[in-house]
Amino acid sequence: MQFNSNDSGSTLQSEINITPLVDVVLVLLIIFMVVVPLLIEGYDVDIPRASADTLPQVAESQLILSIGSAACPILSPPTGEGIPKDCQVTLADQKIPVAELPARVASILGGRPAEQRALFLAVDDRLNYEGVLRIIDLAKSGVEDLKIEFVATN
Amino acid sequence: MRLGEPARMQAAINITPLVDVVLVLLIIFMVMAPQMRKGPDVNLPNTTKPNSQGDERGRILVSIDEAGGLWINDQPVAAEHFDETLRAAVGAETNPKIVIRGDAKLNFREVREVMIAIEQEGFRGVGLIAKRAGAEGK
Repeated sequence: MQFNSNDSGSTLQSEINITPLVDVVLVLLIIFMVVVPLLIEGYDVDIPRASADTLPQVAESQLILSIGSAACPILSPPTGEGIPKDCQVTLADQKIPVAELPARVASILGGRPAEQRALFLAVDDRLNYEGVLRIIDLAKSGVEDLKIEFVATN
Repeated sequence: MRLGEPARMQAAINITPLVDVVLVLLIIFMVMAPQMRKGPDVNLPNTTKPNSQGDERGRILVSIDEAGGLWINDQPVAAEHFDETLRAAVGAETNPKIVIRGDAKLNFREVREVMIAIEQEGFRGVGLIAKRAGAEGK
């Protein structure tokens, strides 16, 4: 393009350089494309089969976490982050403070193969939903790939 | 514009259509993003490490608002019509996934009742939607 640099070279300079604009717009586009599908986050849980006539056999290896409204009085959305200190939960028939939950779950389920890492949850109906989700979150922080399954509360 | 000039200009890539397309895509995404949050305003529970709930293909959003009202995708649904509306929403989805957006103020009972109604339609697993603590969004 050297041969006509006088003429068309100066003409090109008069145009806006849109390469940075394209850069910025492409990056924005990529950000949006990546972020939009990730907007929703949550916890995968299994529901008990209420329609079944017979209760499934409770196997020895099933780890049951009961959250009662007496021992863990989260009846309204907890303020701030985390779970109130006075909350106690029952894990495998042992009453423990909720703060110990990740360590206990890890020590019981950590050695099992990933597909057997399941925590069965019996939750009091009166508890606040946000509190329940925070306890699930805490339990999941102990072990990777923890499966959460609700059991019917009686 | 002299004759003969355009032929030499063709040597550079014409990026104007590219910019057009990219800008339009950007605008489409910016417009679509808020609409992907279907349903009522729900004050989602705050937790520390919720997992991604996949992309929106086949996702059916069941919302429970503060007052316990039920929504499927963006339509309010009366409790007695929940079953058939859910069935219709699932429709021909090949790989449906139900997620529940429950308000943080709800009791667990209200969420559990919805989960049982969903289970009776044959779904064993649901996603419970939460908001990463400190993150924006509803």
